[in-house]
Amino acid sequence: MDQLLQHLANALIMGGTYALLGIGLTLIFGIMRVVNFTHGELYALGAYMMYFVANMLGLNFFLAIGFAIFAGLVLGALIELILLRPKRTADIDTTMLLMIGAWIVLQNVETLTWGSVAKSIPSPLPTEPLVIGPVSLSWLRLLVLGLALALIAATYALINRTKLGKAMRATFQDSGTAALMGVNINLVYTMTFALGSSLAAAAGALLGPVFVVTPTMGDLASLKAFAIVILGGLGSISGATIGGFILAFVEELGAGYISSGYRDAMGFIIIILVLLFRPTGLFARVERIG
Amino acid sequence: MLEIRNLVCRYGKVTALKGISLKVERGQMVALVGANGAGKSTTLRAISGLVPAAGGQILFDGEDITRASPARILGKGIAHCPEGRRVFGQMSVAENLEMGCFLRSDGKGIAADMAHIFEQFPRLAERRRQIAGTLSGGEQQMLAIGRAMMSRPKLILFDEPSLGLAPNIVEQVFEIIQTIRAAGTTVLMVEQNAYAALEMCDYAYLLETGTMALEGTGQALIEDPHVHEAYLGGGLSH
Repeated sequence: MDQLLQHLANALIMGGTYALLGIGLTLIFGIMRVVNFTHGELYALGAYMMYFVANMLGLNFFLAIGFAIFAGLVLGALIELILLRPKRTADIDTTMLLMIGAWIVLQNVETLTWGSVAKSIPSPLPTEPLVIGPVSLSWLRLLVLGLALALIAATYALINRTKLGKAMRATFQDSGTAALMGVNINLVYTMTFALGSSLAAAAGALLGPVFVVTPTMGDLASLKAFAIVILGGLGSISGATIGGFILAFVEELGAGYISSGYRDAMGFIIIILVLLFRPTGLFARVERIG
Repeated sequence: MLEIRNLVCRYGKVTALKGISLKVERGQMVALVGANGAGKSTTLRAISGLVPAAGGQILFDGEDITRASPARILGKGIAHCPEGRRVFGQMSVAENLEMGCFLRSDGKGIAADMAHIFEQFPRLAERRRQIAGTLSGGEQQMLAIGRAMMSRPKLILFDEPSLGLAPNIVEQVFEIIQTIRAAGTTVLMVEQNAYAALEMCDYAYLLETGTMALEGTGQALIEDPHVHEAYLGGGLSH
C-alpha cells in the first residue's frame, strides 16, 4: 500500500509534463494536420537552453525556464515559416517527410553543439525530500508539477479566452470559413506551431534538471508524445491532458509491479491497444461530417 | 459597386470560369443562377479571395481586389454567407456571431449589432449559449446570415441560402434576405431555386459551364424561352 502511494505520487508528477508534451503535439496536428516529428527535438532544445542559461551562464533557474520556453517559441515559428509555409497545400505525407528530415538535422545540430556526453543541471531547491507519511517527494519534482499545471492552465486560458484562441478554434473546425471571417490563417498556423513547440520546450526545461540532458533525449519524448496524442484522440486537447496522466500512471505502475525494464515500453503497448480496440482515441469527439 | 471583368478560375487543369463579367450596382439585389457545376459558387469564392483568379479583374468601389486576402476583402465590406451554412459547430451561437465581427474592435457597436440580430432572430437569442452544431438546419442558416451581418457589410454574398431547408423555412430565409436588402445592404445571391431568385432580384445572370449565357432583369430571364425550358421546369406555368 505504501509503495502504491509512492508510485501514484511519482506518476502524478510525471503526468503534468507528459500532458504538456501531448497538448503541444495535438494542437499542431489538430489545427495544421502536420505530424510533427520535430516535437522531441524542441523538448531537447528546452533542456539544453536550461543547461546553457542556468549552468553555463550561471543565471537564475526560473529565468532559464522562461528563456527555454521563449527559445521553443522562436524555433517553432522558424520551422513553420521556413519549412511548412511554402508547403501549405502539400499533402500530409510530404510534410511528414519534411518533419522527419528536420528532426534528423536538429538532432545532429544538437550533438555538434553540445557534444554527446550527458549533461546534468543542478537544482537550486533543497535536496532533502518532503516526506508525507509513507510518501517521499523531492522539492524539484513538486516544482515541476506545479509549473506544468500552471502552463497547462495558461494554455487552456489562451485557447478559450483570447481572440487568438478563438481564431485557432475556428481554424481547427473549418479553416475556409475562418478565412471568410477575416482570420489570417497563415498567422494562426505560425502561432500554433510556435505555441506547440514552446510547450515541448517547456516540458524539456522542466524535466532536464530531473534527469540528464542528451542529444537523443528527444526521440523517446516524441514517441511518448505520439502515444499520448493517440490515446487522447488526435486533435483533442483535453484528451491529450488526460492521456498524459494516463501514460504516466501506466508507466509508473508497469515499472513498479511488472518490471522496471518495461517502463518505456508501456507507451507503445498503449498505442497498440488503443489502435486495435479504439482507433479514434479514448476521448475523441465524433468526426464532423461534411 | 462590384464589377467583375473576364474572370478566369481554374482548379488544377479544370477551368471553372472561362472569362465571366458581371456588375452589381449599389442597393441592388443581383441573382446568379445556373445548373450545378456552372461556376456559381466559384464566382462568389473568387470575389471573397478564397479561390485565386487565373485571369481577369474584380473591382469593388473602383478598387482592384483581385489578389487581396480574404481578410482584406471582408475589411472592405464584402461578407460571404457560404453554401451549406458552415457554422462553427463546436462553438456557441454567441461565439459564432463574435467570429462574424472578428475584424472589428468597436465594442459598443458590436454589442448593439448583436442585440439587433437577437431581436431579428429570437430563436437565436433563446439559444445563445447553445452549441451551434446542435441547432436545426433553419436555425443554422439564420445563424450563418446573422454571422455575415456582424461585419456590417456593404455587399453580402449568399451562396445557396435555401439549400436543404424545409419549404416554410426557405420562405423565411428569403424574407430575411429581402429585409437585409431593404435596410440598404447590396446583395449578390447564388440560388438553385431559380424561380424564387429571379422573382426577387433586380438583375440576374445565367451561368452555363463557366461562361455567362444570359443577363437581364429577373422578369426578362423568367420570360426567356431557354431559361423557362431549362431552369424553370419547362411547360409548367408558375
